Amino acid sequence: MGKTFAEKVLGKAAGEDVKTGQVVTVEPHFCMSHDNAAPISKIFKKIGVEKVWNPDHIVFILDHAVPAPTDKHAENHKIIREFVKEQGIKHFYDVNSKGGVCHQIMCQEGYALPGLVMVGSDSHTCTYGAYGAFSTGIGRSEMAATWATGKIWFRVPESMKITVKGSFKKGVSAKDLILKIIGDIKADGADYMSVEFHGPAISQMSLAERMTLCNMGIEMGAKNAVCPPDEKVLDAIKDNAKTDKWEAIWADDDAVYAKELEYNLGELEPGVAKPHTVDNYAPVNEVAGTPIHQAFLGSCTNARIEDLREAAKILKGKEVAVRTIVIPASWKVYRQAMEEGLLNIFLDAGCIINNPGCGPCMGNHEGILAPGETCISTANRNFKGRMGNKESFIYLASPMTVAASAVKGAIADPREVL
Amino acid sequence: MAENILRGRAWVFGDDVDTDLIYHNKYLAITDPKEMAQYSFEYYPGKENFAKEAKPGDFVVAGHNFGCGSSREHAVYCLKELGIPVILAESYARIYYRNAVNNGYPVLVVPEITKKVKDGDELEVNLDTGEIKNLTTGEVMHGDAVTDLEKEIMAYGGLIPYLKAQAAKEQK
Amino acid sequence: MGKTMIQKIIQRASGKEVKPGDRVWCNIDLSTARDFAGPNCVLQFDKETEGKGKVWNPDKIAFTFDLEAPSRSEQVANNQKLIREFAKRQGITKVFDVNWGIGQHVLLENGLVKPGWVILGTDSHMNLLGAVGAFATGVGNTDIVASWILGKLWYRVPETVKIHVTGSFKKGVCMRDLLTKIVGTLGAGGLIYKAVEFVGPTIENANLAERITLCSMVTEMSGKIGLIQPNGEVLEWLKARAGEEVVELAEAIKADPDAIYSEEYEFNVDDLEPMVSAPDAPDNVKTVREVAGEKLDQIHIGSCSNGRFEDIAAAFEVLKAADFKIAPGIRAIITPATREVMKQCAQAGFIEKFLAAGVIFTNPTCALCTAKHYGTLPSGDVGMSTTNRNFIGKVGKGSHTYLASPMTAMASAVRGVITDPREIIG
Repeated sequence: MGKTFAEKVLGKAAGEDVKTGQVVTVEPHFCMSHDNAAPISKIFKKIGVEKVWNPDHIVFILDHAVPAPTDKHAENHKIIREFVKEQGIKHFYDVNSKGGVCHQIMCQEGYALPGLVMVGSDSHTCTYGAYGAFSTGIGRSEMAATWATGKIWFRVPESMKITVKGSFKKGVSAKDLILKIIGDIKADGADYMSVEFHGPAISQMSLAERMTLCNMGIEMGAKNAVCPPDEKVLDAIKDNAKTDKWEAIWADDDAVYAKELEYNLGELEPGVAKPHTVDNYAPVNEVAGTPIHQAFLGSCTNARIEDLREAAKILKGKEVAVRTIVIPASWKVYRQAMEEGLLNIFLDAGCIINNPGCGPCMGNHEGILAPGETCISTANRNFKGRMGNKESFIYLASPMTVAASAVKGAIADPREVL
Repeated sequence: MAENILRGRAWVFGDDVDTDLIYHNKYLAITDPKEMAQYSFEYYPGKENFAKEAKPGDFVVAGHNFGCGSSREHAVYCLKELGIPVILAESYARIYYRNAVNNGYPVLVVPEITKKVKDGDELEVNLDTGEIKNLTTGEVMHGDAVTDLEKEIMAYGGLIPYLKAQAAKEQK
Repeated sequence: MGKTMIQKIIQRASGKEVKPGDRVWCNIDLSTARDFAGPNCVLQFDKETEGKGKVWNPDKIAFTFDLEAPSRSEQVANNQKLIREFAKRQGITKVFDVNWGIGQHVLLENGLVKPGWVILGTDSHMNLLGAVGAFATGVGNTDIVASWILGKLWYRVPETVKIHVTGSFKKGVCMRDLLTKIVGTLGAGGLIYKAVEFVGPTIENANLAERITLCSMVTEMSGKIGLIQPNGEVLEWLKARAGEEVVELAEAIKADPDAIYSEEYEFNVDDLEPMVSAPDAPDNVKTVREVAGEKLDQIHIGSCSNGRFEDIAAAFEVLKAADFKIAPGIRAIITPATREVMKQCAQAGFIEKFLAAGVIFTNPTCALCTAKHYGTLPSGDVGMSTTNRNFIGKVGKGSHTYLASPMTAMASAVRGVITDPREIIG
């Protein structure tokens, strides 16, 4: 009987043949932490071990509040710098123009690799599945324990197979697909599962689009989400893989799935997640005209060069009607956007271009909402109070929908302006 | 009317006490003056506990250029709300002085007061005559109360009540 | 008897003959507020007028957002919202939201500042607008509210100090160094309540950015306003934005040759060298050479004092001379003053080069100067910045800051320790 991706990749890491439901202990290849490396380092010190098991497997990327806005953030960053020095951690992205949002850096800089088991102290660590990795978010205590022991246990998860066919119509993108899927199966629809994306449409998608899909796996409860490690992936990693321990692993054709779904991109239209849950899906035309106060184009979900290009197409020569915050996913993306003239388009349209980081996504930095305000955002969560005030409202949408809405000052269907 | 005489303990500060020391910019977003009192002098080295320990009626004594820096009115509100009845300094920064006057908050200019008063000294201040007695040492000083227009504004309790009274007069 | 610039300005605004020491009511030409203290103004205005009041003239009121742009706290988000709603209700259209940049600079670029105008703002560095001969002062919210009700405000006519500057800067030395020198010479209380006129050939030849730098720190000497007579290029720049009338307005504020000054100072910049304000006060002035070699954790170029294109260009030249490399481990942050400046930097190709070197380039805002945005320092860290204040804890509890020119800041980023820029651009 064939094996799922999860069975194969965890089996390889555990060095034995494993089946769904079995508990295995593995050594994760990369352990990623962002600004929360500071509290984790404090937990780590309590364990009583002096040194981490292997500093080369640990990656720190400051992104949640950079440059530090408050005393507390500044102190946290300092704790991390000192820990990095003390432990000899080489993979450290401090507050400078080499970094960006952690998940973007992990993919862009060659950490996310096919067949690797990776963990991160952030729920959107599942993003690396776009590169064929088995990656999942873990809590702080577990991360501290992993630093100490180099080991982590997993229950080999059931798998869900989502087969995607067809091609996007104009104005529709990967974000619309994932919002629709989550709307269909709900926030717990893939609880604990490994979600595999299959089908010809996935092969057609760029890595940026696959990252958008995998990034939001957690929003349907998945342990991890993954796309096939095809030529596009191999091509992307050929020059910058941080290790040669990777291996292109994919599910067997006759693997057994707990659930199978099928989507045809041609049937999709632009959609949103309405406040205050990610699975509160609606086609954009149902909410078109809802007034907004802010538009946010950023986050680990949708702030790559491809996303900025799509938004720029709509914003070119226009002026935004509401405050519009553009935060490229990394400085590399920022520079690429500058080179392509996209940043000028945004500035001319009246947007704010912030330095790469998480921005207002989790209510930490630039662009917090006031009570009663509504924001349309390309990020991945719209929980009550997520971007600051509990009395504010967040709609999640694609970069195209966000750009079209920014111009109109109300939620708008991008197909009208494209 | 009884003379306007106050008694209290002195808290002595140095020269060029800036607005960040009086009321740090990290609390600028606060708009309710009552909330501001607790942060008074939080950043002043050695007097971080001022807001907790000072009693209503205590005096702030300072050297030259008190309140230099920002235009934040918070730096006046916080002390007023804490119950500090008057500030006695050798001189004031321009904006701070204005903000105090505009809030009807008495600020007296007292030459060389930081040489004559030590932390914890008991003072008696006559707001009408400007006479200041150091009850601990017996020394007497004189505070220069504000003049003409400022005095008038303060007599009304601040700029806004003053303007309202002026407008009422004009209407008559 | 001759009159100084400030006497002429107040005379026009009050309709009275004035002499220093007089208290007069002046008509206000522009009354502005930021997202800092602006909400206090709005709340106080509504309270005083029982929520029914109309401002005296909505066209003479402007709002600028730069304390936290974009906001990073619920409180400021709410404060900004309060202002937006108030402006809408009152018919105030000049709202420069979080996408514009530092208030005074935005007002200047948008032609809202004219020579001789009496301007208010909730920013103690409003008076940098004296760089174009405007009498702008930072005030608290009560003064702003009074002006919104009446269109007038009381002033004490200040004495005027004349600062005469001659000579030309050597390579690696700039207006910021002169300013630091002046602050060190006159001290934190050196200009208390006074107006200043900056005159002499060095000033006449100075560009707008240099004039702004010079006027931006009069506050740090407790002065009321630093004024510079607009001329040449500066006047042309103003004309293009604020209209032809600025020429006449500028003419009307010229100091009389026999005006009376309370003090006069002479500075010559020929032999001036790069200067710093050492921790923890702007008037703790030293030469860069005296403190060279001290290790830095962060440098920041920006703020209303030194965030214009020319300032960033000066830093760029230093970085270029160092082959576009900064020291490992140092955090370098550049914050342009406005969106216009950011665009200029992009067009000049600066941003790409800064980023390639590892320098961070942020959106236009007050950044670390307000201590709640980019670049707060942890305890024990030492920073250098082109801002205007380095009081203890200003940018993070337990940290210390050197104030310096953009060139010195960038030179120090290149080496990771305080460095005289002449060593790099030699």
